[in-house]
Amino acid sequence: MLKPFLMKNNIKIERAIKGLTQEDLANKVSVSRQTINAMEANKYVPSTVLALKIARVFGKPVEEIFILEKND
Amino acid sequence: MSTKLLLPNRYKKFGWFILVPSCIAGLVLRYYDFDANWMHASVFAFASDGFPGNPTYFGFIDTNITNTVIGSLFILGAMLVGFSKEKNEDEFIAELRLSSLLWAVCVSYLLLLLAFLFVYGTPFFDVMVYNMFTVLIIFIVRFNFILYRNAKTVPDEK
Repeated sequence: MLKPFLMKNNIKIERAIKGLTQEDLANKVSVSRQTINAMEANKYVPSTVLALKIARVFGKPVEEIFILEKND
Repeated sequence: MSTKLLLPNRYKKFGWFILVPSCIAGLVLRYYDFDANWMHASVFAFASDGFPGNPTYFGFIDTNITNTVIGSLFILGAMLVGFSKEKNEDEFIAELRLSSLLWAVCVSYLLLLLAFLFVYGTPFFDVMVYNMFTVLIIFIVRFNFILYRNAKTVPDEK
């Protein structure tokens, strides 16, 4: 889980747009704040369920929030 | 990871209360070599060499139980700390727990391998004593360290 990553995400940006703190988002998708933090730092790839939940909070399709990096 | 095997979060604090004192007591015991004289008891043993007497199997023996008590408390405390849920147990924490366990087993056996290669004679007894606890210790340290680091690295902007 600490290896370099092939997936990026826009959680931090989307969170800023919505005016949510890490804690707020964590509560909305019922995970710990550490999980949001680890995802934003690209240290954790969420499960599909969690990715879908996050996308729903931001009201956008999953692909707009989680992006596969080209060097994959 | 199935969280069915984990204890409720409240046991974690309880575990620390047992683990810390028994850890200190264990280190003191190791380096000052005390056996509390009052800690003699008659205990049931599966096996005992009974030195200098006769060996006993599945019977009661009279012995000093300082080591027994402190070692047992340490294991109990470490298991409560290591295998209780976090306040907010989720998929990231479950993965961190698994990877920390893998890490702990690997590091522990690498240390043991080093000790096998480079420690001989009586000092190897020390290695065996420490090796009984390294998996749990390394697991707890690594798991909590990464959780802690993750809680603070990116300061949360409002």
